[in-house]
Amino acid sequence: MSELATYITLGFRHITDLEAMDHILFLFALAAIYRLRDWRDSLWVVTAFTVGHSVTLALAVTGALVLPTRLIEFLIPVTIVATCVENLVVPDRRRALWGGRYRPVFAGVFGLVHGAGFANYLRNLFVDQIALPLFGFNVGIELGQLVVLAIAAAMLAVLDRTFALATARAGQGVLRLRVVAVSAVVACVALRWAVERSPF
Amino acid sequence: MRALVAVLGGLALHPLHTTLTQLAYRDADGTVEATVRVFADDFRAALKGEVTDSAAVTYLRSTFALADPTGRPLVTTWCGIRRTGDLLWLCLRAAAHGLSGLRVRVALLFDRYADQINIVQATYGGRRTALLFTSGDAPKSLP
Repeated sequence: MSELATYITLGFRHITDLEAMDHILFLFALAAIYRLRDWRDSLWVVTAFTVGHSVTLALAVTGALVLPTRLIEFLIPVTIVATCVENLVVPDRRRALWGGRYRPVFAGVFGLVHGAGFANYLRNLFVDQIALPLFGFNVGIELGQLVVLAIAAAMLAVLDRTFALATARAGQGVLRLRVVAVSAVVACVALRWAVERSPF
Repeated sequence: MRALVAVLGGLALHPLHTTLTQLAYRDADGTVEATVRVFADDFRAALKGEVTDSAAVTYLRSTFALADPTGRPLVTTWCGIRRTGDLLWLCLRAAAHGLSGLRVRVALLFDRYADQINIVQATYGGRRTALLFTSGDAPKSLP
């Protein structure tokens, strides 16, 4: 296996590992408001997240930015809770700020926080040769996120179908039920992590 | 819903469980030097106690192996341990004729973490190559 492929595999496996539930749930929270036909919007949001964490990762592993690990590990679940809260308090995106098109911006900002979470590990391990591992790891993360996003879309479609059958609702009504259900569960999990990791 | 939150919540925190092993051939004494980088807290957990030279070499020899291209195991000698920050650098050497075709097995921490990934880097013949090991992998040969 080439060196680059090795690091792509490392990033891909890291994000698709079931134990990476913090990243997976964040992606679920981001994807929760989109239907299959909104796939372009969700792709923008996830790509913005990747850009965000790539920036911080690059700054942190090269030593340009030093971030306290405990604070970052606390802020990661906070970003998940914030995403869920945003899902819940904005029922109609067409009437939201910028027609709801601000989401890639906040996904990018939250990506800055998540990138810092990877940084300490990579900086320590690849201390003398960071460029290729960093690039490969990021490519792997992006590919892994696309897989997670595809699985999330399929699971959310099944959830919609279930809600539609159970409540005899359709369209926006089912979507809202789904957003509330997914966001509530994910927010509770992330809140627990935030409390457990609180540095205060 | 409470059960779902409890199950997912138990899966929190997701560090990278990774080691990096660099292989270099030393022309001066005809040996392969393996330098294994491992996070100190992971290694301490694997040893189930303090990291001493004897505990480290015993664990390394049970989880790391080199063999020549015919499959004959190479005898490794311990060349020390050092620490920088959170990282331990463990060193083993073995007499060999070169890196090409060398068979490598790195099973560090597979008994500890299901998501453990061990990376091997080797530089020879003007290029750098890498191997990736996950739990259950058989020994792999350098090209």
